[in-house]
Amino acid sequence: MEHFEADIVIVGGGGAGLRAAIAVAQADPSLTIALVSKVYPMRSHTVAAEGGSAGVVLPEDSLEHHFNDTVSGGDWLCDQDAVEYFVAHCTEEMVQLEHWGCPWSRRADGRANVRAFGGMKIERTWFAADLTGFHMLHTLFQTSMKFPSIRRFDEHFCCDLMVEEGRAQGVLAIEIATGEFRMIRAGAVIIATGGAGRVFRQNTNGGIVTGDGMALAYRRGVPLRDMEFVQYHPTCMPGTGLLFTEACRGEGGILVNRHGHRYLQDYGLGPPDPWPRKKAMELGPRDRLSQAFWHEERKGNTIETPHGAAVHLDLRHLGAKVLRERLPQIREMAHEFLGIDPALAAIPVRPAVHYTMGGIPADLRTATPLPGLFAAGECASSGIHGANRLGSNSLAELCVFGKVAGEEAARFAKEIGKAANGVGLRWQAQDSQGRALRVLEGPGGGEALAPVREAMALAMEQGCGIYRTGGGIEETCRALAELKGRHGRLTLQDRSRAWNTQWLAALELGFQLDVAEAMAHSALARRESRGAHQRLDEGFTERDDLRYLKHTMAWHAADGAPRIGWSDVVITRSPPATRAYGAAGEAAESAAHSRKAVNA
Amino acid sequence: MPEPRTITIEVLRYQPAEGNKPYVQSWPVAFTDDMSVLQGLQHIKDYADGSLTFRWSCRMAICGSCGMMIDGKPQLACRSFLREFYPGPLRVEALAHFPIERDLVVDAEDFMTKLARIKPYIVPREERSLAEGEYRQTPAELERYEQFSHCINCMLCYAACPQYGLDPSFLGPGVTALLHRYNSDSRDGAKNERMQLVHAEDGVWACTAVGYCSEVCPKQVDPANAVNQNKTASAVDWFARFLPGHK
Amino acid sequence: MARRPYVRTMDGWWKRDAFFMRYMAREATAIFVVIYAFVLLAGVVQLARGEAAFAAWVAALHSPASIAMHVVLLAAFIYHTYTWFEIMPKTMPPIVVAGRKLSPGVITGAGLAASAVLSIALLLVVRALAS
Repeated sequence: MEHFEADIVIVGGGGAGLRAAIAVAQADPSLTIALVSKVYPMRSHTVAAEGGSAGVVLPEDSLEHHFNDTVSGGDWLCDQDAVEYFVAHCTEEMVQLEHWGCPWSRRADGRANVRAFGGMKIERTWFAADLTGFHMLHTLFQTSMKFPSIRRFDEHFCCDLMVEEGRAQGVLAIEIATGEFRMIRAGAVIIATGGAGRVFRQNTNGGIVTGDGMALAYRRGVPLRDMEFVQYHPTCMPGTGLLFTEACRGEGGILVNRHGHRYLQDYGLGPPDPWPRKKAMELGPRDRLSQAFWHEERKGNTIETPHGAAVHLDLRHLGAKVLRERLPQIREMAHEFLGIDPALAAIPVRPAVHYTMGGIPADLRTATPLPGLFAAGECASSGIHGANRLGSNSLAELCVFGKVAGEEAARFAKEIGKAANGVGLRWQAQDSQGRALRVLEGPGGGEALAPVREAMALAMEQGCGIYRTGGGIEETCRALAELKGRHGRLTLQDRSRAWNTQWLAALELGFQLDVAEAMAHSALARRESRGAHQRLDEGFTERDDLRYLKHTMAWHAADGAPRIGWSDVVITRSPPATRAYGAAGEAAESAAHSRKAVNA
Repeated sequence: MPEPRTITIEVLRYQPAEGNKPYVQSWPVAFTDDMSVLQGLQHIKDYADGSLTFRWSCRMAICGSCGMMIDGKPQLACRSFLREFYPGPLRVEALAHFPIERDLVVDAEDFMTKLARIKPYIVPREERSLAEGEYRQTPAELERYEQFSHCINCMLCYAACPQYGLDPSFLGPGVTALLHRYNSDSRDGAKNERMQLVHAEDGVWACTAVGYCSEVCPKQVDPANAVNQNKTASAVDWFARFLPGHK
Repeated sequence: MARRPYVRTMDGWWKRDAFFMRYMAREATAIFVVIYAFVLLAGVVQLARGEAAFAAWVAALHSPASIAMHVVLLAAFIYHTYTWFEIMPKTMPPIVVAGRKLSPGVITGAGLAASAVLSIALLLVVRALAS
């Protein structure tokens, strides 16, 4: 086994990981950084994000507005101190990206343009055509090449976290090209491995989004927080789950059911006109839109496609010119996969899993409960998204907290110095290597990989869907326990070491089953409906601030179900209120405004 | 819904163990009209032969992972559809002009090294603090380079370029397009430094304007244009050195 | 376990794809250009040698073999011209006319049209001078 040393090791080369690496390099060029990614960084799933990244710029906008939109969007489960820090640093990160070359779309006067996005009161979403994530990722990746202190371990699969003396001290990774193991010792570890959407059947995610980092920390005793909150993006391609960006709706696109009716007005998001209008109708928050779809399907108002029920995303009225300039990727996807020209016909869409709000708990300085371990990006539960994330807050999060993670890890690594004694770590690495090799070389029990993976994805879709019931979740928990057993009995067809992606898929499936279990058991424990977690059981259909204004925490158990605990939500400025959009939202807002005026 | 049809997919396979050579293996795959070649390969890996190896991720032609030779042409597997090749058989091979690591996976290190070499980042023409906000860039200025910034690093253009195949020291279409992207960005001031790479014999002058790179590019970057525009730029630069006041 | 990348041969690369074959045909037309240059060079040399020599050269051009060769040369030149303008847009920076970039097709078309017009004009001028 080869051994490497670095001051900081970063697992994950997407937006957050790259931003962290650059932050370390800028904070102190003498610190060595190992950037470990199972794919070349430009393949990271940040690349697929489309619509935009938030940052307050307009004179009529304010940090307070962004804060309020985010906290209410999160159904008051957000840690408000984290949200305050976040909104205060978004714009400077967007400017930083611009300085590094990000090709933001511009206004005529040369300043960056911003557009409306779901759940946001005022335009504050910076965008680069409909390729925002792509441009941000490539800007960060190419900029990272400026810094010689960043050493990349491309196509290295991280299979374990090394923990010694109660702190994170490195990682064990497999060099994919050869199947050889490499241990990388470091003073501090940053996990930036992204979400876990692939545990669900229909999802917008790339194949790599398998919750690796979450599982690595989880297995080492770090709890996973708020895992029951999984975002369904309302407008995705039936079957593949590929994303049709929210920007379609920001530009004025509408959603209609089988009868041509803009059904969202029946779910408290109306009135339908004037349109477009912020925080109303199709620009409501994602959880509410996905829930409306679920109801429409029940009522028989959806359209049947070969891949299940759908509604229509109608962009015809935008005109070919706007489609070409502002939404070119959407045009392409609709044409290639569905044979549709959005200027002439509506696009069938349905909700699919898109984002994991929960993850490794990370405080304001991205520190996790394990000393020396930091987390940023979708793998982290930073507290800013609460029970439902607003579009364009995630790309901004990568930069804001990616930077913090880099700076904090640098500080920690400098204080702690190098790991004094490597012997304990070597034993740990050997042991870990053995476990990973058993998955590859063990005789197994004849179980095949794909059926187990598919059964997991189906169980999660059924039990942890847009609406959940206690019975349904319990069934999923049972299924997952059984699937974990089957996973332990996998027999691989591919027994080689070099470029064995079946072996890696088996390791990823192990991660996914652990993460899925945390999600399902957390969902069972939360007996209320809030944000993206909605229950149909009697008594649990409403938000229950008295009992459940707190985060779930799931601790891994060596055998058996995770242990669920709770932790406090940080409330500073915004006490829980009714979460309302459309006309109801406007009324609530003006009532609050006049209350403030009266009290002043 | 129409009955699924069946197509045979033939894959050039290769295992890097001692003494092996590439060989062809085929499987029949039932498909519907919206199934991509990538989904076909995934089906084979999941149900027929778990050892079939290929790179993929996003499934929507933006991550650049799944480039391969499909029916003899460099294409993204996620954006080629099995219906296009019916009745088949459909031949799939690793991206041309790159060494095969295993099955459909090629060694991409040459591209990555070249990418780092061109200074693919803004070297500011003028300094600006974050507090001063973003650099001003008009839509017209953005348009000058935007197309070249769409490169997803899929390397299809390298598989299309016979000059690269014959001599891999050529900087190549994709990397030159990115070099051109930065040279054309109104905020950047490192054009002179990058021109050294352009002038070199394995810079733009190795290109003989075959033009296939631009044909196969899935993002309409037009790398042939980037390379050949720079031939003019290189020549102009060469002559300009005789003018007084030239740096 | 170790890496053992396999490098494929480039032998016969141009036969692999119709695009490459068209490219090779394009490049091959340069040979025909050279051949015609020698034909013209021969004419210049004969001209320097006097009227009789030049007349003999002109007479040789009228032979069936020569006419056949010239038909082939003309075809090659037409393909040469066509592919020249086909690739020309690739060598040019964007040309903006009335706020829109000129498409490659327009540039190619303009080049071919100009060639046709000039060729016909030259033919007419030469015929006028000869008569």
